[in-house]
Amino acid sequence: MRGFFLFLFTGVFFALLQSSVLPLFLSPNFRPNLILLLILYLGLSENLSRALIAGLLLGAIQDSFCGPSLGLYVSVYLIIILATRVLTEQLNIESPPLLLLLITGGTLLLNLLIGFYLTLFAESASVLHILLPAIPAQLFTNLCFAAILLFLLLRIQRFFGYRPGLAGLIHQSKQYGA
Amino acid sequence: MRELLRRYQFLLLVIVLVLATMILYSYNLRQKTTTTFFERAVLTFTSPFLKNIDNGVNSVTGAWGNYLWLVDAQQQNQSLKQENLELHFELQQAQEVLLQNGRLRKLLAFVDELDRPALPAQVIGEDASNWARTILIDKGAQAGLVNGSPVVVAQGVVGRIIKVAPNSARVLLVTDASSAIAALIQRTRTRGVVRGRGDDLSIEYALRDADIRIGDLLVTSGMGGVFPKGLALGLIETVEKDQFGLFQQIKAIPTVDFSHLEEVMVIVGEGD
Repeated sequence: MRGFFLFLFTGVFFALLQSSVLPLFLSPNFRPNLILLLILYLGLSENLSRALIAGLLLGAIQDSFCGPSLGLYVSVYLIIILATRVLTEQLNIESPPLLLLLITGGTLLLNLLIGFYLTLFAESASVLHILLPAIPAQLFTNLCFAAILLFLLLRIQRFFGYRPGLAGLIHQSKQYGA
Repeated sequence: MRELLRRYQFLLLVIVLVLATMILYSYNLRQKTTTTFFERAVLTFTSPFLKNIDNGVNSVTGAWGNYLWLVDAQQQNQSLKQENLELHFELQQAQEVLLQNGRLRKLLAFVDELDRPALPAQVIGEDASNWARTILIDKGAQAGLVNGSPVVVAQGVVGRIIKVAPNSARVLLVTDASSAIAALIQRTRTRGVVRGRGDDLSIEYALRDADIRIGDLLVTSGMGGVFPKGLALGLIETVEKDQFGLFQQIKAIPTVDFSHLEEVMVIVGEGD
C-alpha cells in the first residue's frame, strides 16, 4: 500500500514539475512526459490490479493538469499499461535495451492514441499538426530523462535496498554494485 | 456460460475498462463548461504548491539576475537609457492619439466595448502535455472568474478560461488546436475564423478574392460574444491561394509572446 501511494505522490510531483518548473527551461516539444515513464514503470513492475488502479488515477491527475477534458489520459494510460503488460509477458524484462524500446513504443503509442481520441471524439483533428512534428523531439527527451531517472534510481537504491521484482533494474543494479 | 466467462475474464475486464474510460471521456467532452469534482480537488490541492514553486523559482532567478549575473549590466544600462528616451517620445505621441481618439469617440458616439472591468492574474503553471496549449492562473471562482471569461494582455488576446477552481483557473490559449475565434483583418475587414496550430495561427474561411497581405493585423470580430471587438490576435505571415478552392490558406504569428507570459488580465464584466 505504501508503494501505491508513493506512485501517486511521485505522479503529482511529476505533474507539478511538468507544469511549473520544466516550462521555464524547455520549449513544449522538448518537455518530457515524466508521468508516461512512471506508467511504463508501473506496467513493468507492479501487479496488474495495482498497476491499473494507479494508472487510472495518474491519468486523472494528468488530465487535471492539462487542457483536455477528464478521461483522455485515463483511457490512454489504461491502454498503455495493458499493452506493456502483454509485452512483458512475452519478452525478457531484465534486458536494459528493452526499457528504451518500451519508452520508444510508449511514446509513439501515447501520441497515436491522443491523436486518435482527439480526432474521433473531440473533432480536434488540427491537433495532428502539433502532435506529429513533435514526436522526434518528444522521443529524444523522454529517452534522455528516462536515462537520468534510471541513473538516479540506481544510486538511490543503494541507500534503501532494491525491491525484488523491479523490472529491468535487477540486472542493472548488479552492474552498479547495488 | 460461466466457464466461458471465467476463461475470458481478463479480456472482458479489459474491454469493460477501456469502454468505461472512453465513455467517461466522451461524457466529459459534452460537459465542457463544467469543472469536475476531481479536477477541482486536484487544482485546489496543488495550486498552493504551484504558487510556492513559482515564488521560489522567481526568488532564485531574481537573486541570480540581480546580484550574481551582472556581466553586461553597464551595456544594458546604456541601451535601456536609449530605449527609455525613445519610449518617452512614443508615449507623448500615444497621448496625443489618445486625446484625438477620445474626441472622435464623442463625435461618433462610438461605444467602446473594451471598457470592461478586468482582473489581473499571475501565471502559475503551464500545460503538463506537450501538445495542448493552456496555462494556469492564480485567480479562480472566489475572485469572480467563470468559464468562458476572456483573458488578454497589452499585446492582444491570450485565450479564454475553460476550467475554474476556487483559487485557480485554466486558460485555453489561442494557439491551442481546439481554440477557434471569430476574427477579421483590421485593414480590409475581411472575416475569418482563427484556429490555433501550437506555435502559430491559421485563418480559415477567408474568401479567395479577399485582399489579405503579409503583415496585416488580425483582430477579434466580437462575434460569438466571448471576446470584445478589436483586440489584436496576430500578424499575417503567409498567404497562399490554391489553384482551386473557395478559401485562402493563411498563417499568422500571434501578437502575444506566450513563452514569456507572466501577468494577464481577465475580463470579468459586461461592457458599459
